[in-house]
Amino acid sequence: MWMKDEDVLVSEVLEGDQSSFEPLLRPHRQGLLNMAYRMTGNIEEAKEICQEALIKIYRYLYRFEKGKNFKSWVYKITMNSAYDYLRKRKKSEDIIESQKRQAFNGGSDPEKQFLNREIGTKIESCLQNLSPKEKAVFLLRDGDGFSVEETSKILKCSSLSVRTHLSRARKKIRAQFEQSNLGFRKEVKSEL
Amino acid sequence: MVGSDISPSKISSITAHLETCPECQQEYDSYSLALEKTKEWLEEDKPDWVEREWQQAVQEAVKEKESVISPLAPWPFKKAWAFALMGVLAVALSLLFVIKPFSIGEGAAPGSELLYRTQAQLLRSAFQESQQEVVKMTMVLPETGQKIVWFFDKNFELEVKE
Repeated sequence: MWMKDEDVLVSEVLEGDQSSFEPLLRPHRQGLLNMAYRMTGNIEEAKEICQEALIKIYRYLYRFEKGKNFKSWVYKITMNSAYDYLRKRKKSEDIIESQKRQAFNGGSDPEKQFLNREIGTKIESCLQNLSPKEKAVFLLRDGDGFSVEETSKILKCSSLSVRTHLSRARKKIRAQFEQSNLGFRKEVKSEL
Repeated sequence: MVGSDISPSKISSITAHLETCPECQQEYDSYSLALEKTKEWLEEDKPDWVEREWQQAVQEAVKEKESVISPLAPWPFKKAWAFALMGVLAVALSLLFVIKPFSIGEGAAPGSELLYRTQAQLLRSAFQESQQEVVKMTMVLPETGQKIVWFFDKNFELEVKE
C-alpha cells in the first residue's frame, strides 16, 4: 500500500484534515502501546497513557518541526505521558496490585509456552525492578532500537546519562537472569 | 558487541581480548544471552490495539482538541499570543495607574492655579499615605537656579498661594 510521506500528513492535519491523523500515527501505534505497556506492566493503563499521548500529539502537532524524526517526537510525548501516569499512580495506588499481567502467549507448543511464560514472567519482573529511567532507556535503546543520541533526545538527558542508565539496566537484568533457575547457565555453557 | 554501543575501533581490541580470556568470554556470553532473551521476549510479547479501540482512541484525540480550543481562541494557540497579550495589558495598566495621575496638570500652564491645585492634591495624598511627620518640597527656578524649599508638618493645611 502506498504510504504518504509523514511531512505531507502532518501538513494535512495542520490544515484541518482530521482524517490524516490516523494514517500518520498508524505505523507507530504498536510501538507506542508496547512502550507504555512495558513502563506500567498493565495493558489497560498502557492504553490510557497512549490515549493521553494521542491527545497531546494532535494538540501540539503544530510544534513539530518538519524534517525532524517524527517517531522520536511521538515517543517523547508518550514517554512523558507514561512518566506523568506513573507519578500519579505512585501517589494513589498500590503498584504491585496494578502490575498484574495478562496471560502470556508463548506459541502452540505447551512445553515451550510454559517455558516462555516462565521466562516472560522473569523478564517482566526484571523490568519492574528497574527504575523508571533505567527501564525507559533500556526499552528505547534495546527494545525499540533507538540510538543513544535519539534516546537522549526523547528522554531529555545527556548521552552520558543514557549510557550510564543503560549499563545499570543491563547489569541488573543480567544479574536477575543469573539468579533465576531457568537453565540459563546451562544454556550459556552449552553454547560455549 | 552487546547493544552495539561501542565504536568499531574498540570492538576489534575487545574481540582480541575475549579470544585470549575465557573468564571475560563467559561474562560476555552471559551478558549477550540475557540481552538476546530479553529482546526476544520483548519482540514476542508485543501487545497491539484492537482495531476498534485504536480508531476510538484517535477519534477521542481529535475530539478532545476541538473541545479544548474555543472558537474565540486564536489558532494555533501559541505561547507567543499569551506573552503578547500580557505585554499589552502591562502597558495599558501602567498608562492607567502610573502615567495618568502625573499628567493631570499637563494641560495647565506653569504657575496656573490648576497646576498648583494638582500639586497640592498630590502632596496631601502623599502625606496621608506615607504618615510622615514632615514633607519637604523644593522648587528650582530654571532661569536663575534659585531654590525655594518648603517644609510642611502633618497638621499643616495646605493652601495655594500666588
